[in-house]
Amino acid sequence: MYYKPAIPVLKQADLKTLPKVLSEHLSNNIPVNLIKSGTEDIVRIEFYFRAGNLAEDIPLIASTTNMMLSEGTENYTSTQLNRKLDFYGVFYNLFVEKDLAGIVLYCMNKYLEKTLELAYELLFRPTFPLSELKSLMKKRLNWFLINRDKVQNLAIDQFFQSVFGKDHPYGRQIVSDDFRTLTPETLKNFHSRYYSVDNMAVIVSGRMNDNTLHHLDKYFGRIRPSKTRPAVTSSFIRGDEKKCVHVNKEGTVQTAIRIGSSTINKRHPDYTGLKILDMIIGGYFGSRLMKNLREEKGYTYGIRSLVTSLDLTGYKIISTEVGNKNIRKAIDEIYKELTHLQEYSVGREELTIVRNYMMGEILRMFDGPFATAETYRSIWQFGLDESYFHRLADKIKTITPDEITDLAKTYYIIEDLYEITAGAG
Amino acid sequence: MIDFAKFKLENGLRVIVNEDNSTPMVALNILYDVGSRDEDPRTTGMAHILEHLMFSGTDNLPEFDKHLQLAGAENNAFTNNDITSYYITLPSDNIETGLCLESDRMNDIDLSQRNLDIQKSVVTEEFNQRYLNQPYGDVMLLLRPLAYKVHPYRWPAIGMDISHIRYAERSVVKDFYNSYYTPDNAILSLSGRISAGKAYKLANKWFSHIQKQKKYKRSLPAEPVQCEERKLVHRKDVPSDAMYKAWHIGSRISPDFYTLDLITDILSGGESGRLYTKLVKGKKLFSDLNAYITSDIDPGLLIFQGKLMKGVDFEAAEEALSRIIDDLKEKYVQAPEMEKVKNKFESSNIFSRTSILNKAHELAYFELLGIPEQINNEINLYRNITRNMIMESAQKYFHHGNCNTIYYKSTR
Repeated sequence: MYYKPAIPVLKQADLKTLPKVLSEHLSNNIPVNLIKSGTEDIVRIEFYFRAGNLAEDIPLIASTTNMMLSEGTENYTSTQLNRKLDFYGVFYNLFVEKDLAGIVLYCMNKYLEKTLELAYELLFRPTFPLSELKSLMKKRLNWFLINRDKVQNLAIDQFFQSVFGKDHPYGRQIVSDDFRTLTPETLKNFHSRYYSVDNMAVIVSGRMNDNTLHHLDKYFGRIRPSKTRPAVTSSFIRGDEKKCVHVNKEGTVQTAIRIGSSTINKRHPDYTGLKILDMIIGGYFGSRLMKNLREEKGYTYGIRSLVTSLDLTGYKIISTEVGNKNIRKAIDEIYKELTHLQEYSVGREELTIVRNYMMGEILRMFDGPFATAETYRSIWQFGLDESYFHRLADKIKTITPDEITDLAKTYYIIEDLYEITAGAG
Repeated sequence: MIDFAKFKLENGLRVIVNEDNSTPMVALNILYDVGSRDEDPRTTGMAHILEHLMFSGTDNLPEFDKHLQLAGAENNAFTNNDITSYYITLPSDNIETGLCLESDRMNDIDLSQRNLDIQKSVVTEEFNQRYLNQPYGDVMLLLRPLAYKVHPYRWPAIGMDISHIRYAERSVVKDFYNSYYTPDNAILSLSGRISAGKAYKLANKWFSHIQKQKKYKRSLPAEPVQCEERKLVHRKDVPSDAMYKAWHIGSRISPDFYTLDLITDILSGGESGRLYTKLVKGKKLFSDLNAYITSDIDPGLLIFQGKLMKGVDFEAAEEALSRIIDDLKEKYVQAPEMEKVKNKFESSNIFSRTSILNKAHELAYFELLGIPEQINNEINLYRNITRNMIMESAQKYFHHGNCNTIYYKSTR
């Protein structure tokens, strides 16, 4: 039987109403945002602090302070703490980013109170025991050495150094000696300055009842503001003069390529348009770079581009790993694609694909309470509100080919881009 | 609880649906009952390279991904030793686009030499990226043939050797497609904003025209029982020493599957697991150490993998590890520790069900195993495990003759 299917008529996904957020404060003014929805009796609780890499005056202090939170508190050793959290079926992630640090906990509602009690211990009563610190640093040195064997890590570390400068906390590279300098006192000091009530916020998402806020207030609402203040960090970012850097690593079969530079962040009016341009360049499977370097030439398993916001700036980066013999050819194709976008308009079909794909992506960003919490946090941390997503959706629907060409000319000036390679090639 | 309905089309396609109206999306999964275990040992890697080629489009619909992107969909696929799985999440309004495309590529594909040549390069780069260009990346290329001498689990899904990819012939790939990509060798699962009634109507609309074909009968050589311990020392320029140990266990549907899963949770479930508290934190022999089961459909492996701290020798690390294993064989697990891993299992089970894509994957997989009802009974099976069952399984599997060990030695 011969059968010729025809693609059914499509509907463009649309952003109608965004999930509701209830904004509250605890008794001591800690802001709490609640996102009530979900089918299962579970919640996600995120505590975040302005305690990321940007706050670092000593290398590794932000990540070490964060990782040491679960290594012993006034009432529990690290093993006791973890045994309890596991007993209640809690999953948690301690995290450190360039700007923020904190913890995300996932728990069943029946254990919410227990979980909050342990979260309070961990966040506000850590003791930073010396023996635990020593063994953590030894382990981390081991992990670090393993990571430095991967070309991806060599390339990205060099990329941040070149783009943000070797002395800026966004750009500073870690060396083996850094694992030997931290003491419990320096960590306590960092903790008291940055893990404080006036430097944090809470997001709760999932199914919850009227008691959720009450429980939060019981454990976190009475903490007093810290007397020590966050230090004013140097915010001067200056990229390296040298645009092309190769990090040599003998014996690798592939070389990692990272091309990009600092750029605007979410607070800038052009940002939504830049996100669309980024999608066209390398943001999805049908992007220009993916089609050219993977699907036409077979140079790589994957190539992607990304525009990301930081508190002080933003950056764009194109990343791929290619066989050593194709490095130059791959880099030339990347520049060719960028130049092409500056010189020729994006066609109607491609633009429709990108519009539709991105609208679908927005729906996925709000699919369920946990995804919604992550999505909202990514704008709240820049002091923006939900209107950002309406602006993004409007821009996706209305951007013109000329606007895209202009954005490519403004934000992808080839001479300004850093070109980092790492590997044997 | 995952509510589901299931039915079968006349051509043999099995369909399983979970309606979840808390989302505007639908996740669609097509699972083909074929993996690298079905390959000829002389031409391995076919299942995986075919998965790549399934995105090349057909005469009818030349650009597969384009239509999905227009529908606002996100899609991907994976191949392992047992199955090949294609999945899409998209706004429920556009579900028919997903069904249309899956139906079209189940019906036939356009396998051009040009596309094959490009995907050979892509897969070669994938092989390099995953197996050669990472420290310890090649360990599964060593551990599989150490543990399996006969069964096709002895090679990984990407292939036994990259030359198999380089010399892959179009006719072999096409034959592979013709043999396995048939409606009665596939399962369609859906989870999200779609009713069972609508799924039934649409599955019929889009798939019933595909001709029924003779179902392939799988007959794989069983792995002979291992009687002697096997050891391999591998020297390479890596930052630190690493140790891998693998024991043969039963199949996915064998009665002690969940007991072994619970054993690995006791050993390495979270930071309160025995391996972490005793050997990483306590004796500081490893910088990380994990235990897991491979969950293969045919008899699989229970694997330990750990990186040694500087200055620790293999024998000392192995000795400490075997003391932990002996504890399981000789002493009952105490009630609070049992309760802890059971609670954790329950909680991870609930969390995994917050994602429609995950639910679609699980439904298709349990249907393939022939035990779809078990999807809602896993917590009970796990809760019913006793300390006796743990001790018996530990004694049954953890013995030297059943063990394969790799000392991965750093030459730095």
